[in-house]
Amino acid sequence: MSEIDTTKAPMSSEEQKAYQARQKHRAIIMAGLLFFLVVLFYLITFVKIGAAAS
Amino acid sequence: MTIASTPSYNLASAQDLFALTKPRVMSLVIFTAICGLLAAPGSIHPVIGFTAILAISLGAGASAALNQWYEYDIDAMMKRTANRPLPAGRMDRETALHFGVGLSAFSVLLMGLAVNWLSAAVLAFSIFFYAVVYTIWLKRSTPQNIVIGGAAGAFPPVIGWAAVTGDITIMPLLLFAIIFFWTPPHFWALALFVNSDYSKAGIPMMPVVAGRKSTRKQIAVYSLILAVCAIAPFALNMTGVIYGATAILLSIAFVVLSFRVGLSKTEDPLAMKAEKHLFSFSILYLFTLFGALVADRMIIA
Repeated sequence: MSEIDTTKAPMSSEEQKAYQARQKHRAIIMAGLLFFLVVLFYLITFVKIGAAAS
Repeated sequence: MTIASTPSYNLASAQDLFALTKPRVMSLVIFTAICGLLAAPGSIHPVIGFTAILAISLGAGASAALNQWYEYDIDAMMKRTANRPLPAGRMDRETALHFGVGLSAFSVLLMGLAVNWLSAAVLAFSIFFYAVVYTIWLKRSTPQNIVIGGAAGAFPPVIGWAAVTGDITIMPLLLFAIIFFWTPPHFWALALFVNSDYSKAGIPMMPVVAGRKSTRKQIAVYSLILAVCAIAPFALNMTGVIYGATAILLSIAFVVLSFRVGLSKTEDPLAMKAEKHLFSFSILYLFTLFGALVADRMIIA
């Protein structure tokens, strides 16, 4: 079960901005990777179906 | 489980996660995997071939991440590695562990589902071998650590081959042996003239534990075994003249350079010309040998 650790000091606004900027950067890269994998799996499926049919 | 209000500098950046995969080391892995794949008899659809190379690269990246997760303490002691994401404090260990385990599982599943399960099994074993047998078990306990580590680096052409053929015959095992026996002369030549911090970090590297004289002798011995393994595919009639001639010429040069190192007695790293020549040539040797293997196969095909 997850719980919030309240013993650490809260982030300052500058730290929070930097944190969110990194989160956003990682999210954009993750979206790009997921899109790449969708295309790759689509192509793999076509190749596999083609191979099974022939 | 506790979720801490993590300070921004502890949220790993995408660049640091990428750095965790040791991209420079990965280039050799990708090259030898592609060579194994192209040299194998038979054909593979380009999409499946690309997926196989991607899975091998991700597996290598995962091994590197697990290696850095475990070695954060010794990385912090050495100049060369002190700026890696973990020792530099830009990432917590848990992130590296999760990244490494997740990437390992993904790479093996991708290989198994898209290519075949034999190559997936070898990939899984290579990750286990590098992360557990080499990194956790043997690296800190034996001066033969580089030899054992070389085995982990020797798997990619075998996996590339198995991706095409679905089996492992003598030829991919010889490719494995070439990289396996190439690794000690390559790294020990470097270790002889580069003043590393391995001893400070408690890693028993051969030149430190056994001394330079013994290391030089071992380099010469390994070069002979390497030459036998490199010429064997031609001698056993598994390759054509292009590979055979290249392997013979390169191996003669490698043995000559290694014996120059074996006979050298200099203790001054700045004066170690023979060691520096061998190190530079060893890189050229491996790339040219594997390139010749592919060229040979392409021309015969």
